[in-house]
Amino acid sequence: MNAIEVSHIIKRFGPLTALDDISFSVSMGETFGFLGPNGAGKTTTIRILTGISAPTSGMATIFGHDIEHDIIAARQSMGIVSETSNVYDDLTAWQNMMFSAELYHVGRSEREKKSAELLTLFGLYDRRNDLAHGYSKGMKRRLTLAMGLVNSPRLLFLDEPTSGLDVESNLIIRDVITDLIREGVTVFLTTHNIEEANVMCDRVAIINKGHIAAIDAPERLKKTIQSVQSIEFSFDRSSADQLDDLRGLPTVNDARKAGDKFKLYTADPSTVIDGVMSYARSHNLKVTSITTLGPSLEDVFIRLTGLQRAGGTIHAID
Amino acid sequence: MPSIDHEGWTVRLSREMSAAWAIAKKDMRIYYLKPNIIVMGILFPLFMFLAFAIGKNAPPGTLIPGLIAITLLFSASSIEPVSIPIERRVKTFDRLLAAPISLHSLVFGESLSGFLYSLGIACLPLIVGVTVYSTKIVYAPVLLLAMVLTGFCFATLGTLFAAYPTENVGEVMSMLNTVRLPLIFISGVFIPIAAMPLVGQEIAFISPLTYGNDMIEFAYTGTSMFSPLLDIAALIIFILIFQFVANRLYKKFNE
Repeated sequence: MNAIEVSHIIKRFGPLTALDDISFSVSMGETFGFLGPNGAGKTTTIRILTGISAPTSGMATIFGHDIEHDIIAARQSMGIVSETSNVYDDLTAWQNMMFSAELYHVGRSEREKKSAELLTLFGLYDRRNDLAHGYSKGMKRRLTLAMGLVNSPRLLFLDEPTSGLDVESNLIIRDVITDLIREGVTVFLTTHNIEEANVMCDRVAIINKGHIAAIDAPERLKKTIQSVQSIEFSFDRSSADQLDDLRGLPTVNDARKAGDKFKLYTADPSTVIDGVMSYARSHNLKVTSITTLGPSLEDVFIRLTGLQRAGGTIHAID
Repeated sequence: MPSIDHEGWTVRLSREMSAAWAIAKKDMRIYYLKPNIIVMGILFPLFMFLAFAIGKNAPPGTLIPGLIAITLLFSASSIEPVSIPIERRVKTFDRLLAAPISLHSLVFGESLSGFLYSLGIACLPLIVGVTVYSTKIVYAPVLLLAMVLTGFCFATLGTLFAAYPTENVGEVMSMLNTVRLPLIFISGVFIPIAAMPLVGQEIAFISPLTYGNDMIEFAYTGTSMFSPLLDIAALIIFILIFQFVANRLYKKFNE
């Protein structure tokens, strides 16, 4: 039995088709990344899988429980951490935990024990009696995650868990998620941080405009676009106007400058390395570092979603 | 983790009720003392009542049943139209929608907080009537039942209006007031139903406040327009209709 089984789900909002016949499955204990640009259908998928919204057609099961007809049993196994830190500002952290535990039918002694454990784990126990209103963004995020874990879920939906957080909160949350994965919890992760998905996920699905563009392990997805390799290097003296010259080297498809490093995309790394060396010699420059890189998951994402790079960031076309 | 599939309906019911109670407790902690709740739930019915009562030559004690009726109407229906749009805005409402409870329990739990609030507030005129004006209550158990049914009926009405998918409290309150304000004029609170024109009397029959007010009047005076049994039946029917419609609306608007 799979943790999640999605079969031919279509979701329409009036004339707009948000999800167009998507199917996929997530095995028990798997960490599954769900990537896509804004408006691709990620949140709609999560809302359907958590039973907040109903599909127009198609079906899905969570641990064998049909999400339309047996949603309460399905939800009992889930923890949901939404993109917004949706804690109750007018309640203390402890009251937030107790409320969440009561909603998930966790017994009184168990809920107190579990809440104390989780608040300690997330570094919030000493401030458990403070109103969440006075918490920083990172603390609220940690409390949101703690509330999502109070029922010891077998399946955890994580929507942008570390987006825009301070370093401390980021590290705590990643450590906790890593431990959960080790304990066999199935994780359904949506994130804009492609490197996070690359490092954490067993498999990723890339969704675009309501369609699943690809599903596979990150490394296998990268192999599908071997033409997008890159050379990263730096000169002893670098300037922005060198970028245009480097972009004109043979077989270079795209060029970027990040800090003191240049990155040239190509299907033929050896030709580009020769070109860079010739350029350095002719301009009296020294190459201080040079590395050949395979395609990244971000490259796969860009290729499959039709996004465009601008500077060091990715911009959505749609 | 045990599946709830094979558990008995009593366990399931107990879980649903404790989750509903958790929702009600949460609302009590967060919203009972919010300024807009105090204005709409306490001050508004008081001033509305004073505006009509001052100038009437009736002894103040005889006005207590009407004050209890409109206090129940306004206080019971004021919590959810404030709390639910706010919770939609800060996304905490999604927590309730995604919890392992039925929509019935969600609607019931939300209504419960408005109901308990109204009972507490309606006790104020009751106590003032007894202690200050020595107003006699002929049938105290009937008064208690009337307050429970009327309070729960209007709490459910507030939850029903709060189903409208907006994050703006004002929008829900405006819609609700277009129903609440006319109710106090056509339900025999200020003008006896028998003194109203025929059209007014016919409209009065479809107002739940008519039956709540009539039952409270009976509890205080021993006389009423309808039999208390009819009042009880009418209020229960209104509660069931409001609960049913509220469930359907929450389901529809969340799709």
